[in-house]
Amino acid sequence: MTMKDELKYKHLAEQAAREHRRERKIRTIAFLKRKSAAAALLVLVLITLAAVFAPLVAPYPDQGKGAVNLGERLQPLSGKHLLGTDTFGRDILSRLVYGARVSIFGGLFIVCAAALIGVPLGLWAGYSEGAPGVVISRIGEILISFPAVLIAIAITTVIGAGLTSAVIALIIPWWPWYARIIQGEVLRLKRMLFVEAAQMLGYGKSYILFRHLLPNIMRTVMVMMLLDFGPAIISIGLLGFLGLGTQPPNADWGLMVWEGAPNLMQQPWIAISPGAAMFILVMAFNIFGDNLQDYLDG
Amino acid sequence: MGEVLIRTQSLRTWFPKRKSLLGKPGAWLKAVDDVSLTIYRGECLGLAGESGCGKSTLGRTILQLVKPRSGSVRFDGTALRNLDFRQLQPFRPRMQMVFQDPRSSLNPKMTMLKILAEAIRANPDHDGDSILDQAVELADMVDLRPEHLFRYPHEFSGGQQQRICIARALATCPDFIVFDESTSALDVSVQAQILNLIKRLKQRLGLTYLFISHDLNVLAQVCERIAVMYAGQIVEIQESGRLFSSPGHPYTRGLRDAVPIADPEAKQTFVSIKGEVPSLVDPPAGCRFHPRCDFADRLCATRVPELQRLERHRSWIRCHRYRQLNFNQERR
Amino acid sequence: MSVKQKEKPILEVKDLVAEFTTAAGRLRILDGIDFSLFPAEILALVGETGCGKSVTAKSIMNLLAEQVCKRRGKVMMDGVNLLDLSKKQMRSYLGRRISMIFQNPIASINPVFTLGEQIRRLVRIHMAGEITRVKSELGCTTAAAIDRLAAANLEKVGLTDVDQLMRAYAHQISGGMAQRYRIATAVLGNPDVLIADEATSALDVTVQAHILRLLKRLSAEKNTAIIFITHDLGIAAQLCQQVAVMYSGRIVEVAPTAELFKNPLHPYTRGLLKAVPQLSRKTGLEHIPGTIPDLRNPPSGCRFHPRCRQAMERCRRLRPPLVETKSHQVCCHLYDAGNKEAAWAKS
Repeated sequence: MTMKDELKYKHLAEQAAREHRRERKIRTIAFLKRKSAAAALLVLVLITLAAVFAPLVAPYPDQGKGAVNLGERLQPLSGKHLLGTDTFGRDILSRLVYGARVSIFGGLFIVCAAALIGVPLGLWAGYSEGAPGVVISRIGEILISFPAVLIAIAITTVIGAGLTSAVIALIIPWWPWYARIIQGEVLRLKRMLFVEAAQMLGYGKSYILFRHLLPNIMRTVMVMMLLDFGPAIISIGLLGFLGLGTQPPNADWGLMVWEGAPNLMQQPWIAISPGAAMFILVMAFNIFGDNLQDYLDG
Repeated sequence: MGEVLIRTQSLRTWFPKRKSLLGKPGAWLKAVDDVSLTIYRGECLGLAGESGCGKSTLGRTILQLVKPRSGSVRFDGTALRNLDFRQLQPFRPRMQMVFQDPRSSLNPKMTMLKILAEAIRANPDHDGDSILDQAVELADMVDLRPEHLFRYPHEFSGGQQQRICIARALATCPDFIVFDESTSALDVSVQAQILNLIKRLKQRLGLTYLFISHDLNVLAQVCERIAVMYAGQIVEIQESGRLFSSPGHPYTRGLRDAVPIADPEAKQTFVSIKGEVPSLVDPPAGCRFHPRCDFADRLCATRVPELQRLERHRSWIRCHRYRQLNFNQERR
Repeated sequence: MSVKQKEKPILEVKDLVAEFTTAAGRLRILDGIDFSLFPAEILALVGETGCGKSVTAKSIMNLLAEQVCKRRGKVMMDGVNLLDLSKKQMRSYLGRRISMIFQNPIASINPVFTLGEQIRRLVRIHMAGEITRVKSELGCTTAAAIDRLAAANLEKVGLTDVDQLMRAYAHQISGGMAQRYRIATAVLGNPDVLIADEATSALDVTVQAHILRLLKRLSAEKNTAIIFITHDLGIAAQLCQQVAVMYSGRIVEVAPTAELFKNPLHPYTRGLLKAVPQLSRKTGLEHIPGTIPDLRNPPSGCRFHPRCRQAMERCRRLRPPLVETKSHQVCCHLYDAGNKEAAWAKS
């Protein structure tokens, strides 16, 4: 094989790579052109940036963190406080920004941890026949049959309330969903002929698992995680509302709703703002996730 | 030619059907039930049969993709059955398979080059240097070009995908390839192309084939000898021309007569074997074909006929009444 | 169109066009289908994957979603253009004038009801006159009359143990039995036309033979014309009186069966016949070079020209016209009398 031939193949490889990149770019642009996807992405980026840079974004960072301001209690929306103040005079917008941290990072942690536990278990359950699959399935089924929040409530009552406890308590009923779906995917993929072909060539179980099965489930896992953020955020909010999550005076959307509930008639903005924020964030995740699914399938 | 490459002896592959709570099987699906087959080096043996007769399972059992319940498979003299994973490794490169559905045979996340590279590397004796060169050569053998190596499976047509599968099967320099309904999912013209390719490769590389298909027309094209399978058993093996002109077994005859001929002059009557294919879980007693056979007698209903060797070269038949029936005089 | 048949066709398809709106743009799946079906005739519609044979059937039956598929042209049945009928109006034709059976018989039976329930319902709808007759003849109730007629129809297609069968569900019977059942339900309204879409492709060859024989018999007995869609040229040769060959949205050749096999005119037909493996065939197979066209970017002029050994310059520019010879109907420039190149190219 001469040098010229080697270069010729390199050129073909690059040409193919270029074409694949171009196709991906076209699909990405088509994806972003979809108004819903672009809007959802924008919302997600803005809220995440706000959460990350909370001290810079919040107009009153101390109040966001919990410092009271009794002089300006229950102020309606104004130029000074864009979303008004709550019963302790704290700027609601600032509290929303700090609350976003809990929702986004808490949600992120729950989803990632659940995936990190559930996906390998699902892979193992699906790939090895017999006992492991059955055991994991049964455990998962038991956990799934109760609403996750209910289990989390039970756990936090035992280990005590607080953001860390709430997150841990939610991870426990959260992973089975991943395990079951991945188990199903693996069972489906196992029947694919390219798996048999790899067996034909003499490759072992772990090779097939990592080289053939895993790459083909990544897409599913990504979409699952994205669509799972919504429920995770709501669940944290729910625990916060019940007082089992973030403890006052820290900001947490669920907690804020609870704090604003007594004044719902006279000062509705206190409870509605965090509720609306949760709604918008969850919608954004769902819309983005749906569109992403189309993009990945296309 | 003349040397035995593969010999199976009383091969049985049974799948458990119903499991009790503890996992003990209630009934067995006898996909392969007492198959003794010889495949000679350099030949293309066809394996014919309708759906659910066990032919795919037989192919997979020979290649050790499925573990048999009893019986033996000998490859080039060595018994494969009791070898463990490690001991089986040196044999894997020597026998390969091309499956029915080309699309699911290829990992959608791997380029053709990666697919072939994986196969090339599977052979422990493979040449250390340029896998790329070998891949280019393989592509050329199946009439694909070097630029195709960098493409993903979904960028190819069905026929091209199947050619990639064939290239992969050739990558380990095998002696033996099993084609499991490899052209059934392809259009007529594409099928013709693939069949011609397969024949050319066999001649050029001195390969031995087991060609599994329900389509007798296709088998007539590529196979020198054909084995007919029914309800998990081989009922007839004959040289292909003779199998079609004067079949020995009533089932073979019925099968042949049922195939529509693409020639309006040959006015067929569509008279065919009555009844349905039997269940592999609870096959009929005696000769499995007897409930559907126009010539069955009491013996057929009670005793399973043995696979008898015929005087004719490398021919076998499993039928009590073979000599009396003597379809040899028949002409289409 | 065969000169021999002086009768009027029972179904006449003229320039049927079907355009699909998809994510990839507008695809012209059917590019002008022309053929005629005569009473009690069995016509084979032959073609490879993606040529549009199923879409043709579904277009005739109006089974495609209107938002996705726009149809144009004429599908004449008794002076009425079926394309002009709404889905609701078309429903009165289904089962009564025109019926269809599909490739996967078990999947095309409603799995939730027993076979008996489904056929009784159809008997009630389509065989009202017969019900009254049986009632008066036997002096029984309506329900009993329906039962008798249902059982009789099932026996007529060769099914046995009918009482047990009527209590069964779709998944409990075999493919062969299911297809017989579907044929029974499709013809009990005595339709003039039955479309069989790859009706035997999923069945074993021995079961297929029974079904083909059944269809042949029914066609003769009930005077039903059949359009048999298939990729199997053997079935076309043995079962059908006329064969229509389809390629990429057009019917490229129609001829009586013997004529088509003996004297194929269109280059695609010739290529196809040379690629079909046969038991008796001594010669090798030849394949048609190239692949079927991508309808997102179809070839200009004749859709077959990139693969045609006899392609002329005009094949790239102009869509081939429908040419009628005394035995064939062909869409090919080679046979266009007004085409001077043709005489040279045909040699």
